[in-house]
Amino acid sequence: MELSWNRKDLLCLYDLSAEEITFILDTAAEFKKVSERRVKKVPALRGKTVVNFFVEPSTRTRVSFELAEQRLSADIVNMAADSSSLRKGETLLDTVKNIEALQVDLIVMRHSAPGAQDFIARHVRCGVINAGDGAHSHPTQALLDLFTIREKKGSFKGLKVTILGDILHSRVARGDLWGLLKLGAEVTLCGPATLVPREFESIGVRVCHDLRSGLENADVVNLLRIQHERQTAGFFPSTGEYAKFFGLNMETVKYLKPDALIMHPGPINRDVELASALADGPQSVILEQVTNGLAVRMAVLFLVAGCVR
Amino acid sequence: MKKNFLLKGGRVIDPARGVDQIMDLGVLDGRMVDPGQVPDPEVVELGGLVVTPGFIDLHVHLRQPGNTGAETIASGTRAAAAGGFTAVVAMPNTNPAADTAGAIEYLRQTAARKGVVRVLPCGCMTKNYAGAEMAGIGGLKSAGVVALSDDGRCIQDHALMRHVVEYASSFGLPILDHCEENTLKASGVMHEGKWSVLLGMEGIPAMSEELMVARDVMLARLTGGRIHIQHVSSGGSVELIRQARAGGLPVTGEVTPHHLALTDECIKSYDTNYKMNPPLRSEADRQALIAGLVDDTLTVIATDHAPHTRTAKLVEFDNAPFGIVGLETALGVVLTKLYATGIMPLDRLVAKFTTGPAAVLGMNDYSLAPGHPADLTIFAPDQEWVVDAEKFQSLGRNTPFHGMTLRGRPRATVVGGQFVFNTLE
Amino acid sequence: MTAIKEIAGAAEVRSAIAGIARAIAADQAVTSGDGEFALVGLYKQGVPLAERIKRELEEHTSLRPVLGELDISMYRDDVGLRSALPLISETRMPFPMENARVILVDDVLSTGRTIRAALDALTDYGRPGLIRLAVLVDRCNPEYPIRADYVGLTCSEDPARKVVVEFAETDGADRIYSAEWRRTFDRRK
Repeated sequence: MELSWNRKDLLCLYDLSAEEITFILDTAAEFKKVSERRVKKVPALRGKTVVNFFVEPSTRTRVSFELAEQRLSADIVNMAADSSSLRKGETLLDTVKNIEALQVDLIVMRHSAPGAQDFIARHVRCGVINAGDGAHSHPTQALLDLFTIREKKGSFKGLKVTILGDILHSRVARGDLWGLLKLGAEVTLCGPATLVPREFESIGVRVCHDLRSGLENADVVNLLRIQHERQTAGFFPSTGEYAKFFGLNMETVKYLKPDALIMHPGPINRDVELASALADGPQSVILEQVTNGLAVRMAVLFLVAGCVR
Repeated sequence: MKKNFLLKGGRVIDPARGVDQIMDLGVLDGRMVDPGQVPDPEVVELGGLVVTPGFIDLHVHLRQPGNTGAETIASGTRAAAAGGFTAVVAMPNTNPAADTAGAIEYLRQTAARKGVVRVLPCGCMTKNYAGAEMAGIGGLKSAGVVALSDDGRCIQDHALMRHVVEYASSFGLPILDHCEENTLKASGVMHEGKWSVLLGMEGIPAMSEELMVARDVMLARLTGGRIHIQHVSSGGSVELIRQARAGGLPVTGEVTPHHLALTDECIKSYDTNYKMNPPLRSEADRQALIAGLVDDTLTVIATDHAPHTRTAKLVEFDNAPFGIVGLETALGVVLTKLYATGIMPLDRLVAKFTTGPAAVLGMNDYSLAPGHPADLTIFAPDQEWVVDAEKFQSLGRNTPFHGMTLRGRPRATVVGGQFVFNTLE
Repeated sequence: MTAIKEIAGAAEVRSAIAGIARAIAADQAVTSGDGEFALVGLYKQGVPLAERIKRELEEHTSLRPVLGELDISMYRDDVGLRSALPLISETRMPFPMENARVILVDDVLSTGRTIRAALDALTDYGRPGLIRLAVLVDRCNPEYPIRADYVGLTCSEDPARKVVVEFAETDGADRIYSAEWRRTFDRRK
């Protein structure tokens, strides 16, 4: 049976099989080459309209999606919560139904509520791509992380991947988790107990609150941004203390395997979760993640658009 | 003019009298009489059906005044009748709240005109159930409230709560408490556990309930006041109530059909009809609730019937209001989960809908004995049916049980000798 | 079951390929000039065909073409009309496109739509000096004004049936046959 893609939405990697995830990564590999050509554009989505609906503000993800759409020749409209009628009391569903009534083919959506895109996808004909739903999922970020790891390490079987930081509030961590597990990696979640709930153990990942044992022998470490508001909410006492006990610096990096990859979804708090020298060092693949994000988003847009009727 | 009935051949379960047998019942001028004493009766054949004292729901939101798009006293009491309930305790968190004698008077008058089952008013413990100043409890009592509750919110100030419990006890009023500690609940939308962690949703730890249950148990010990714990959702709360009752404290507890039937895993579909407060908890909690019901730690099944408009629920899970309707599915859900599975016998389940809630309200002889009001529930314990929310009497369609096949269905409801719901024949 | 109708057997396929190679070798505009001389096979069956033509040319002439492989999925004009998307195969253009003499190679020329997409794709890699088209089977029912320069054989099969080419390397034997479309929907809608 030859593999094929037949989903009109991309909501969470939890829904996908390992084969489907690999399918997207393989497709992305071809799209990555498009951006390396002189003509960085293909007509794949010519005549298709994509709305980037960012109910929660975003710059980097939106720009990445926007470029991906342009390189696929789609027509694009950007909508932010400020400019939408949500501010005037319209329900999310009404807003989206109004967008759809303009014969839109795809909606790329970010929202602060987990599952908001699932809810919308159930009620519209057009395709829905989740560009982040609260702390739940961010599938294209997960796919670009997987793409980058695969490119550097070849395979996921037995690969030790540590996600370090504020797991509790992170859609990146949750997204990556399902992808890594499905592809056969060994996942460790590390950080202070206030930010790394034990319940994750129930799905077969290692939870650990000690930096050394969390990083030891890891092939990949994915760092998460520490947000200042978590300090105000009492999850940890200060960014200084966080950096000291849970940051990756010239000392703690030694716990990793020598050829370990250092990843970060950005934006980086330099010298808080990650020492500046490491962010710019040879192990860092942070900018490659950004490049790969574009390829992965092109692939996802292409595949999903192909299944919208 | 009231009809007189002879109810023939039903299986009568009357827990207060320890009756569970096939027998006839007589209804004369709205009251129960010896079947031989009904002159020229209309005979109602009840072969194969169960007849019990009318079900009492201690926990119903009728939404009037304030949100009559979601429910009215008329529609809510029709739903109650269709669910086999002959009396409902109306929660006071309406808009305006039922925190004054005037508000209770409005409720009583409206219920008298529009209600089809008995509406038992409940008053607020504090003004506008804001948890800051005690409501006029004496005045509420005079206006006819049967209990006090700040349902929907929980008094966080322990000294104030202590005074409310003590003061209410001077008027013989039970407290129905919604137990929830606000700082632990924070902005949680579902049970804190495996599924909230996987779904990235903010959790409501069981401890936020258990802390206030423990507080209430201590207050019952300190004051001697009667405290009934509403919608118990966690195993820890069940254990606290079990110990309190073993120690002879006047603490009771209720459980909803949905907490007996569903768990937090349901929320992975993001269906807002699984969003309620307290939230659906883990399977271990669900099992503990069933155990609590079996060993009589929990003596009451109440629905926490909380209708919302379709619009209100057709939103992102985070933004949806808490609550689901329950009146018309309560019996079916409970019998499907506990009777059809052999976990509890029918007579003990009937007690949870009748003598259990009656005792919380201080009615200790709630039965079908001659002389008592003819409030009756008649149901088919093994009838299978498919829940269709569109056919509800309630204006609320917000049920997670839509489309589900249930076993056990109300067939007729009699209030004061009158059939207010009837699908016999 | 699918009614299969044989169009050509192994011997005919071999001689058709040899014919294509001869025609290419005889085409002065292609065989001499600046820039690379390349055979670009279109996925799926154009790729093995291009290899066969290359072998023929190397055996019988002094021509040494570079091989390219092209997947035109990103250039199709029917996005959203297919029930599911197949995996995109790897496009390889291991030569500078500027001024190149490119022979596009595909197994079957049918409507011309694939070739239209291929021309778009190819020119996105640069500005070739010249492009020719070689096909093993020309169905002679073009919908676009596109004709092949080198044709192995022609057939006038019912457009409602598909023409399938198989090669010894990948399918066990060289042959050409026609069959019913497996899918129920009309691909050209």
